[in-house]
Amino acid sequence: MDGIARAEVTSRTAVNKRKPLFSLLLPYLLIAPTMILVFIFTVYPSINSVVDSLYDPARNARDPSEFVGLQNYADLFDPDHYIGSAFVQIIGQTLIFAVATVVISVPLALLFALLLNRKVPLQGVWRFSLFYPSLLPLIGAASIWAFLFSDTVGLINTVLRSFGGRGVNWLGDPGFVLWAVIAVNVWKQAGYYMIFYLAGLQNIPRDFYEAASLDGANSWQQFRFLTLPLLRRTTLFILVVAFTFAFQTVEQLQVLGMGGPGDRSNLLLYYIFQTIPERRNWGYVNAMTVVLVLILLVFTVSNFVLFERGREDE
Amino acid sequence: MRKVLLLVVLFVLLTSASVMAQADITIEFYFPTAVDAPINEIIQRYADQFHELNPNITVVPTYTGSYTQTRDTIRTELNGGGAGPDVAVMLTTDLYSFIDEGSIVPMQSYIDTLEDPEAFVSDIFPAFLANSMDEEGTIWSLPFQRSTVILYYNADLLREAGIENPPTNRDELLAAAQALTLPNGERWGLLVPFAGGFPIWVFQPFAIGNGRNITGETPTTVYMNDPQVIDALDFATNLGTEYAVGPAGGSVWGDTPTAFLNGQAAMIIHTTGTMTNLLNNATFEVGAAFVPMGLPNDEGLGYGTVTGGGNTYIFNPPGAERSPEELEAAWLWAEFLASPEIQSDWGAATGYIAARASAWELDPLASLAAERPQYLAARDQLAYAAAEFTSYRAIDTQNIINATLSGVISGAETDAAAAMASAQEQIDALLAEYR
Amino acid sequence: MNNSRRAEIGITLLTSVLGLLWLLPLVFAVLMSLRPQAEGLTVGSVFFASRITFDNYAAALSVAPWAWHAITSVIFVFGTLAVQLVTVTMAGYAFARMKFFGRGALLFIMLLQIMIPTAVLLVQNFATIRELGLFDTRWALMLPYWASAFGVLLLRQTFREVPRELEEAARIDGANLLQILFRVYIPLSVPAYVAFALVSISSHWNEFMWPFIVTRSEEVRPLTVGLNKLYSTTEVGALYGQLLAGTVIVIAPLVIMFMLFQRRFIQSFASSGIK
Repeated sequence: MDGIARAEVTSRTAVNKRKPLFSLLLPYLLIAPTMILVFIFTVYPSINSVVDSLYDPARNARDPSEFVGLQNYADLFDPDHYIGSAFVQIIGQTLIFAVATVVISVPLALLFALLLNRKVPLQGVWRFSLFYPSLLPLIGAASIWAFLFSDTVGLINTVLRSFGGRGVNWLGDPGFVLWAVIAVNVWKQAGYYMIFYLAGLQNIPRDFYEAASLDGANSWQQFRFLTLPLLRRTTLFILVVAFTFAFQTVEQLQVLGMGGPGDRSNLLLYYIFQTIPERRNWGYVNAMTVVLVLILLVFTVSNFVLFERGREDE
Repeated sequence: MRKVLLLVVLFVLLTSASVMAQADITIEFYFPTAVDAPINEIIQRYADQFHELNPNITVVPTYTGSYTQTRDTIRTELNGGGAGPDVAVMLTTDLYSFIDEGSIVPMQSYIDTLEDPEAFVSDIFPAFLANSMDEEGTIWSLPFQRSTVILYYNADLLREAGIENPPTNRDELLAAAQALTLPNGERWGLLVPFAGGFPIWVFQPFAIGNGRNITGETPTTVYMNDPQVIDALDFATNLGTEYAVGPAGGSVWGDTPTAFLNGQAAMIIHTTGTMTNLLNNATFEVGAAFVPMGLPNDEGLGYGTVTGGGNTYIFNPPGAERSPEELEAAWLWAEFLASPEIQSDWGAATGYIAARASAWELDPLASLAAERPQYLAARDQLAYAAAEFTSYRAIDTQNIINATLSGVISGAETDAAAAMASAQEQIDALLAEYR
Repeated sequence: MNNSRRAEIGITLLTSVLGLLWLLPLVFAVLMSLRPQAEGLTVGSVFFASRITFDNYAAALSVAPWAWHAITSVIFVFGTLAVQLVTVTMAGYAFARMKFFGRGALLFIMLLQIMIPTAVLLVQNFATIRELGLFDTRWALMLPYWASAFGVLLLRQTFREVPRELEEAARIDGANLLQILFRVYIPLSVPAYVAFALVSISSHWNEFMWPFIVTRSEEVRPLTVGLNKLYSTTEVGALYGQLLAGTVIVIAPLVIMFMLFQRRFIQSFASSGIK
């Protein structure tokens, strides 16, 4: 290891010595197309969002907005204010939703990947069945589940009633709605994350396993001490993506309960979605977005810290 | 010399005037679809008919999703610096937010130029004008695709249970529902689609029947913390709990008609918009009756319902600067869509309630109604119909009300009075600056 | 031997149970789409109603100009992917293997694209598209997606696993950057590219909000906008038969594509994995 690193350093300095202006600029040229588009469609509007979160739109659209400092943020956390009365509860639900989705779907994804990496009967069918949910449009997927969950004409309750049960009002009972939405999300996302694990497994050289078998490691030990650590970066990537996606769930909710009853299944982005159409909520919408991005940042950064700590990062 | 000059000027003026009159005007028309009829084709047919009558005006219809998607599309265009469509069909309840920001033109200014404005207005059912006017009585939008909440009943099942006539007040309704309910959810007596996040519309008939609409006389008055409204809410909640004639928390909006067709519900509360679906697909006799959610009055009646659906609006937001000719053309199109001929055709094709009394005397609607009297129940119930909930900041007030109602009805909130009081406080704070 | 045989059976069983569970919603979606609209599920007729009908498909097909939508979807999806593959490779390599001033900060800025919900930026991005004169064109659909922070992140992570010696060796042979990418990095990262392509295709195939906002003409709107028509029959109630028929129509091309290529692309994952 050490030798390779040293060789790298020397070869790199050798390159550095004859570095013309072009190679200094090269990395910037390589990232330019991506960065320019990110600036136009993400950074520039985001900066506007942060600025707008400090303003309160005037009643008349033609009048300028009023600068209110952090008042919009304060209102979000004020339980007597219309925008704040459910906000903290919704953040809590969003965290439950995100953690539950990730904690269930990411290990499932790894399990899927490991299972499908072996020879099993009807392999093609199972590959398809585990993966197809991620090919479905969100609205289509949610509609299927709305039909499965329906109290009167739904599949689940019809089956329950066939066995003499009474059925559950899945989308009308405050105790069940959020979990129904989580179940749909797990079903839809697990196959999606599986793809990245499958790709990650490919990068593990086979001789590692051969060496481990020779050393007498059983399957569990191989998984625990070889596969898992070597899938670290893949897992980090999936965690970052999974948490982010969990915070961006909107379309399912539109079909499954619309955040109700009584905001019991409402999530942060859907709440933003509900308030956006009113022009005068623009300050709140942006303040909520900033809060959402801050939460995501905490998750992302702590993921990086947890998973990349102590690793050499060139 | 002078004469020649004058002639030239006159000539130029005349030709340019005639050119102006001939200049083609294009009307961008945004419409939502909320029924399963081939809406695109029908609207295109109307646009073609209109073009024949007005050869210099071309209507370009654009499908813009559901009602909320249509509103949000237009809002995105306006906020993003666009001019928006010339005419759009949107929920009647969107009125005040668009008045507030000055992006729509009142229809009244064009109605007043008609030969007989009074005849035009009085031909429209008053219940459908309630949400088309502001508090001063100025008409801003014209009814196009309108509906109300209505009670459907399985006449065969009612007859089996020895119930001859549909219920006329909430006591009778409850008795019938209890008689028709089978255990274990095998059949519900009465399904009310409260489940999900949007119970406000189906709740309104409960409150109206009880004597107090939650939407007030002005766009700044809302009655949530009102004894009659709270009593109506208790009754609505108890249907699923104490009386157990339907699932606790209510049924899901979209599934309710199917459950009814399946024989899993003897009665349902739903929209007139699903009547065609029910009549075409039912294997039993479908009855349509006035919604009886109120306590019996002196005549033993407890009727009350709420209107809904979409109106046409003319847009001229700040910055768009549409010419008077363009706005006039937009009006002609909106007037055309509200004409008795179109309303009759549209009502028959889609199941919406034609908004003009005279439309019901024209075919195809007249013969359809003669064949299926259930449609007449929808029309005649308008006598008991009141305005749909709206106010300034309607999106926010609706969000508050929906969360509160669904919270109470589902049992997530146990203290109805406290929840309603808190909702009232939030709404009052929100509307204070508009008073 | 006995032990591993038992493990084999256990794995087969587990896979089958999970697979069946995951498959059920699709099976019932298809069954439901073949049911007459009037007949919902009831105890005793869970699988089939009184007859099988294609009315729902006929109804779903009649609500939208599906051929135009399909053409647009194909152009949108592959036009996006083609450009993405280039931009993502370039930026992925730069972030994985080059040192330059501001690398960390720029990477972080790029990650904002994943973190900020597009719904919030809709109004401003609509305005940008208008100013660029792209409103109501297919370009408007694709342009913002030509940059994919997600893809860059994925390839950065994959490229970093490629042994450096290989690059150095190629460099000593006199290979330039393009050759290094094509000879070393891209061949070794095929699984990541396949994964990315799959994700990119399926997410843009299913994208609804952005196309809905930046287009108006039916010819330049993708399939999801057509599907949305079936969903918004709120005045009637949920017509699951039609809706699920529409869903089947929309996903059928993807499913067929997946079935045709599944062996090939799963091979690219699985051939040298754990054995």
